[in-house]
This record gives sequence, C-alpha cells and structure tokens, in this order.
Amino acid sequence: MINIENLSVRFDNTEVLQSISLDIPEGTWSCLVGPNGAGKTTLLRTMLGMQSYSGSIKYNDREIAKNKSLNIAFVPQRPSIPAAMSVAEYVMLGRAKLDGWGKESAHSRNIVHEMLEATQLLGMQSQLVNTLSGGEMQRVLIARALVQEPEVMLLDEPTSALDLHHQISVLNKVEEIKATGVTIISTMHDITLGAMYAERIIIMQSGRVLLDGESQSVIHSPELRSAFDDRISVHLLENGRPVIIAAKRVTGLEQGVI
Amino acid sequence: MWRWQITASAAAALLIAGLLGVGFGPVNLEFGAIVRTLLGLPNGLENEDRTLLLELRLPRVVLGALVGAALATSGAVYQSVFRNPLADPYLLGTASGAGLGATIAITNGGGDLHALLPIFAFLGGVLAVAATFLVAGRLFADPSTLLLAGIAVGSFATAFQTYLQQRNSAALRPVYSWILGELTVANWDVVKWAGFYILIALAVLIRISKVLDALMLSDEEAYSLGVSPQKIRLIAVAAATLATATAVSASGLIGFVGIVVPHLVRGLTKRATNRSLLSIAFVGAAFLVIADLGARTLLSPAELPIGVITAFVGAPFFLFVLRARNRGSQ
Repeated sequence: MINIENLSVRFDNTEVLQSISLDIPEGTWSCLVGPNGAGKTTLLRTMLGMQSYSGSIKYNDREIAKNKSLNIAFVPQRPSIPAAMSVAEYVMLGRAKLDGWGKESAHSRNIVHEMLEATQLLGMQSQLVNTLSGGEMQRVLIARALVQEPEVMLLDEPTSALDLHHQISVLNKVEEIKATGVTIISTMHDITLGAMYAERIIIMQSGRVLLDGESQSVIHSPELRSAFDDRISVHLLENGRPVIIAAKRVTGLEQGVI
Repeated sequence: MWRWQITASAAAALLIAGLLGVGFGPVNLEFGAIVRTLLGLPNGLENEDRTLLLELRLPRVVLGALVGAALATSGAVYQSVFRNPLADPYLLGTASGAGLGATIAITNGGGDLHALLPIFAFLGGVLAVAATFLVAGRLFADPSTLLLAGIAVGSFATAFQTYLQQRNSAALRPVYSWILGELTVANWDVVKWAGFYILIALAVLIRISKVLDALMLSDEEAYSLGVSPQKIRLIAVAAATLATATAVSASGLIGFVGIVVPHLVRGLTKRATNRSLLSIAFVGAAFLVIADLGARTLLSPAELPIGVITAFVGAPFFLFVLRARNRGSQ
C-alpha cells in the first residue's frame, strides 16, 4: 500500500504539487490524468524520491525517500538513447541495483533473456538501441524496468510515441505485470485507454488532485471535463465503453455526449 | 574475457608506441642500447646519448602519454556526461580559459611571468569551468544548460584573449605556437607535477567508470537504480576538468585526441565508451606519443606543432571510422 499524505512540492516560489493525499493499494493500476502542467510527471518523480517534498509518501508504512532498498522502476517518456549499446546490454543495466554496476550474474542473464522474450525483443537483442523504432525502444524501456524486479512501476506516458497497435501491445504487457502483484502508476494523455486498463483514475489540475476513484465513475464525472476546461467530451460506444475526445472535433456526434 | 583482451591490446599498443617514441629522433641511437639503458642492463648508452635518452626523449614520451591519456579519457567521460558524441574535453571553456591564462602570462609577464605559463593556463582552465557552472546557475545544472553556458564562457574568454593578443603583437607567435600544442617543454619536473594531477583524475574516472553507465539512462531511471546522476556528473566533470586543465597547462591545446580516440575505441570494440575507459586511456597515450614522434621527425630538425599532426592524422582516420560505423548500422 502506498500512502501519500499532504504532499507538496515547490520549484522556486511556485507550488507545483499542493496538498496531495492518495492511498494506492498494492497490485493495482492507477492512471494520472490531466492537462499539461497539472503536475503528473512531478508526482511520479517525487514518488521515486528524486524531488524534495513536504508531507509524506509511505510504502508499506516506510517513507519512500528514506527507503533506499525499495525497488521502484521508472519508464520515462523521453528515453536517453546511447550510441553503441545493444538491446541486451541496455536491458541488463536494469540489474545494476541488484547485482552492482558493471556486473552480470548468470541469474541476471536468465532474467534478461526472460524479459526480452516477454517483450518480443529476443530476436533483436544484439541490435544497437540507437537503430530501433519508437515502438521497439518503448518495449526495451519496459524490459529494462522489468528486469529490475520492481515492487512499484512508474510509467510516464508509456504509449505517447506509439501507433495504435503498439499502444495496445505495451499496455497489455503492463497489465500482465500488474497481475504478478506489481503496483502500477502511470500518466496517460489518452484517457480512453487509461480508463480501459487502469482500475483507478486520478484527475489532476494545477498541482492538485481534482478527483480520484474507480475508472468508470471518474470518467463520467463533471470534474474530468472541468479539468480540461470543458474541451473534451465523453461518448459511449454500443458496448457501453466510454470514448473521450476533444470537444471541438465532435460536432455531429452530440448525441452521445454525456 | 573481451574487456581483458581489449585492455591488454591497448596497453601493448602504448608499449610499442613508447618504444618507437624513445627509439626515433633527429639523432640516431642504437635501439638495443636504448632498451638496455631503460632496463638498467649493462652495455647501455653512455654520456650525451644517455642524457639525450633519459633527460630529453623519455620525459617527452612520458608527458605525451600522460597528456594523451588525460585528453582521451576526459573526452570519453564528457561524451557520456553530456550524452553527446561530439563533446570534447575543451567543451566547458577549459581550452579558452587556459588560452586566456596563457596569453596573460605571455603578454603581460615578459620573462618572469612566462615561466608561470602552466600555472596561468591551469588556473584559466579551471576558472573558466567554474564560471560555466556559475553562469549555468547551479552545481547540478542539466547537461544542455551547462553546454550553452560553456559556449558563452568560452567565447568571452576567447574574445578577451584575442584583445590582449592584438594589443601586444610581439606575443602573437608564442601564443599561436602554444595554441597549436607543444611537448617541447617536457622535462622530469613537468612530468612529475602533471603526472600527479592527471593520474589522480584518471584513477577517479576509472573508478567511477562502471557507474557512468547510469548516465546512459534518463535521470529518473538512473535514480531508480540507486544512483544520483547529478552527483556522478559533478564528480566526472570535476575529475575530467582537472585532467584536461593539467594536460593543457603542460602542453598547450592539442586538439582532436578527446574525440578521435574514444570513437576509435568504440568503433573497434562496438562498446559504449565508458565500458572501456582504461583502454581509451592507453590508446590515447599511444596516439599522442606517435603523433609527437611525427611532430619531431617529419620536418627534422625543425618541429611541427603536435596539434597539427593530431588533426592531420586524426581527422581522416575519424572520418574512416565514422563511415565504417554508419555502414555497419545500415
């Protein structure tokens, strides 16, 4: 269980996160949603322990910033892509916290192999990472995070660089990881996809949590539209699944607007 | 196994370069006698020949090796820190700062200050990097801010240096020759003080080389693996700056080593540079010793500035490696 209480973060004189309180149960997927600048990425970085903060972030009753042994993996929105490094070497870096930097145990090689297989990268393991497509790189980032054997996985816009096919395959993979008991917290601009996969949605605006709850109820709430200044609208498909799109583009579709 | 083999080959290259370096010069010395003298065996060189070897050629080869190792390693580290394959050891203003320091020593000091040129160059280089961090606003500035601050500080120092130079036209030639790099000043005293700082810096860099891998990831990922990327960056930049400023103050501005050697080793080994920092140090040392051999012998008895050789040999070779690598990745 992750308990966040009264969390605030300041950059210079601006309060970018303001009195955030959240309880996130273990083995669940929570999706942070909100306009640019809402503080989603800052919240993820703070949960990683990178940002100084006031208030508290506890994982199983231990403060995150002081708990160096806690294994939290991070999948960045903008990866750093080194030259002259193979996919297998890059993924192996994820073992550094467990094995030590520059070391490779036989056990680690097995895990890397296993995760490359799970992310369908096995055939590409000796390819250089700077020659990969966006979708392939995203899977490499996820494989690198997975070999870390994390208790918590933070994903910053894991699908932003991907086409529809790869979005689904990456999100399915994350869903499988969640099923193994890993707590997932992601940010996602595509609220429709977020609601489809995460059981819980947290709406953020201007550094505050506007609403936090079960995905299907949050998605139908007026707070969601107000977070985006009423510029989005929610439609229902025939099977009852919601679709969220930008409001300006929906003339002629008003029938389904909630 | 591969790391051991690469490092051993690089060390062997340095050994061969060193032997060639002490073996050739404007004066012919018998090679067997040189080796016997170096090993302290009987029937070695005597009198002037012995002095020539031990007091002129040997310190020059050792200084060349130290400077080459310093520049190549710093270049590789800067490339990791700034995640930029074109980063070189002079990036944060070290070169321009050292150039300004050297010009102040040459133009204002007459005979007295000229002897202090290495100290002025060293201080100029270090102060320029300190100014870069100051301009960037904080100690843990992100790489791109530092890079831009380095360019600004470098341009300012170069402008000031040019102004001093123009005001004192007699200094043009010595400043120019210093800028092109020279190892002619080598003696055991220079080797001792330069070696002291360079070896300390290299020891630090090689010690942290494995953790430098963390800088290949995004800052968040590095942090999630228990590393503070800002701290590693700061230590790496401080040690690389110490090595570079010392190298520059001992031998002037020798260009291209910091870019060519890391890429050469990377091209040959297909490994990220910081994985083979020790090999890069050895190859850098060998490269500069050979370049200096060329500088001493090509126009003998006159000397070419060593920076001319490193660029002349380094640039085409660099292009060759770059082409080969691009072909490999296509």
